[in-house]
Amino acid sequence: MNPMIPAYMSKRFFSSTFALLLVMPLAAQAPLQAQTPLRVAAAADLEPVLPPVLAEFEHATGIHAEATYQASAMLTTQIENGAPFDVFLSADLGYPKHLIDDKLADTAGSADSITPITYAKGTLVLWARKDSHLPTPSLDLLHDANLKRLAIANPDRAPYGRAAVAALTALNLYDTLKPRLVTAENISQAAQFADSGNADAGLISLTSATTQRLQSDGTYFMIPRNLYPPIEQGLVIVTNTRQRAAAHQFLDFLLSPAIQAEFAKSGLAPAK
Amino acid sequence: MIAMDWQALALSLRLAALTTLILLAIAVPLGAVLVLARARWLAAVEALATLPMVLPPTVLGFFLLVLLGPRTAVGRGIAALFGHPLAFSFSGLVVGSVIYSLPFAVQPLVAGFAAIDPALIDAARLLGAGPVRLVRTVLLPLARRSLLAAAVLSFLHTIGEFGVVLMLGGDIPGATRTLSIVLYNQVENFDYTAAGRTAFLLMGMSVIALAVIYSAARRQQVWTRRRGGEHA
Repeated sequence: MNPMIPAYMSKRFFSSTFALLLVMPLAAQAPLQAQTPLRVAAAADLEPVLPPVLAEFEHATGIHAEATYQASAMLTTQIENGAPFDVFLSADLGYPKHLIDDKLADTAGSADSITPITYAKGTLVLWARKDSHLPTPSLDLLHDANLKRLAIANPDRAPYGRAAVAALTALNLYDTLKPRLVTAENISQAAQFADSGNADAGLISLTSATTQRLQSDGTYFMIPRNLYPPIEQGLVIVTNTRQRAAAHQFLDFLLSPAIQAEFAKSGLAPAK
Repeated sequence: MIAMDWQALALSLRLAALTTLILLAIAVPLGAVLVLARARWLAAVEALATLPMVLPPTVLGFFLLVLLGPRTAVGRGIAALFGHPLAFSFSGLVVGSVIYSLPFAVQPLVAGFAAIDPALIDAARLLGAGPVRLVRTVLLPLARRSLLAAAVLSFLHTIGEFGVVLMLGGDIPGATRTLSIVLYNQVENFDYTAAGRTAFLLMGMSVIALAVIYSAARRQQVWTRRRGGEHA
């Protein structure tokens, strides 16, 4: 073999590589699922909250549920285009309402058939790292001239982003702080911006702030509820679901007092 | 045309041009070393230079966000050097883009250099050409198509870059809001008309630019071949 030509140019190398590529998908085939799981499309802010709830649901009913976490807008687009979800837990009421209007989702036969079912309410907090050079979070922190970068979620689509802008506007601070805002794609990313220290503070969800990691890294201040419109989180059943009975069971489970109390512990206020 | 964000377009072009220049300055010597030197451990270097393709872009962006942030020594060093942290700034995007597009600059050059007849390289060496001269007068002229491919791929890959910018950028108009972010925002906000227009313009411009570049390359190739024919 020509010493100038590297080993990976040889014919034997190519044939063995291609053989490997052909065999790999066969070896990696997933074991067959005994039963189709209940597929839950869940807003990104539920990522720290929902996994134990799904486990309890399986324990109580024997129904295995799997969640996909994404921005509510993204999930809405996916459902509009036929994504095989059974239940949609949004971070607001607007997106699921959009799906109801398009006859792609429904409210499981509740009295009000055009409004998504509120399953929880979000809480906006101001969060900063403990080792920050700025004072501990309070409304005064937002007035601090040393606050150079404040992370918020995208106000065009993330409900917490809208709430953040509403709160800043109510405090007459929006115009001052606008050049210092860094916009994250969703509320979890806003938390990452602040937790990684790249932003001095962040207006994030209480669900993020009460995760173990953020609790050990920083402190938060609850933005007074009168400063922003309520972040009502709505759910709908995807009309095309083949597991309607299971979906209804899941809905009842979420609204049960036990789960509502669990939500409260992880930073979501109860629906009622 | 109203919905077209010219500021974002200019920013994307500036980012892609700067990234391409830096990448070529890195990838030409790196590619030459990978092909000319025979040390075994260089395989590890080549593997590392290809690694950015394996990581999902948003994950790569997240790692960079943490690495360049004030909680690491690297991040603090950079902040001391530049006077500001790199995240959420144009310079931060340049760093991210260079890492993200590195394989797209290195791979074509390695393939192009490796395809050159080793006899020519040996002859040049025997005639006393040092490594720099070898690259300048033998490797690069003979691997022109690969150089072009490396430049074009780096440029386009940076224009279309999204995940890294999303994590590292913070969507600041004029500094980090690139055209792909604008396009994504339009799609996410259900503004499909504007998104379609932006995507169409972006693709149209790219096709025209590529056609111009490739037709110039083709003309030169035909011309070289003809000249070669006359000599034979």
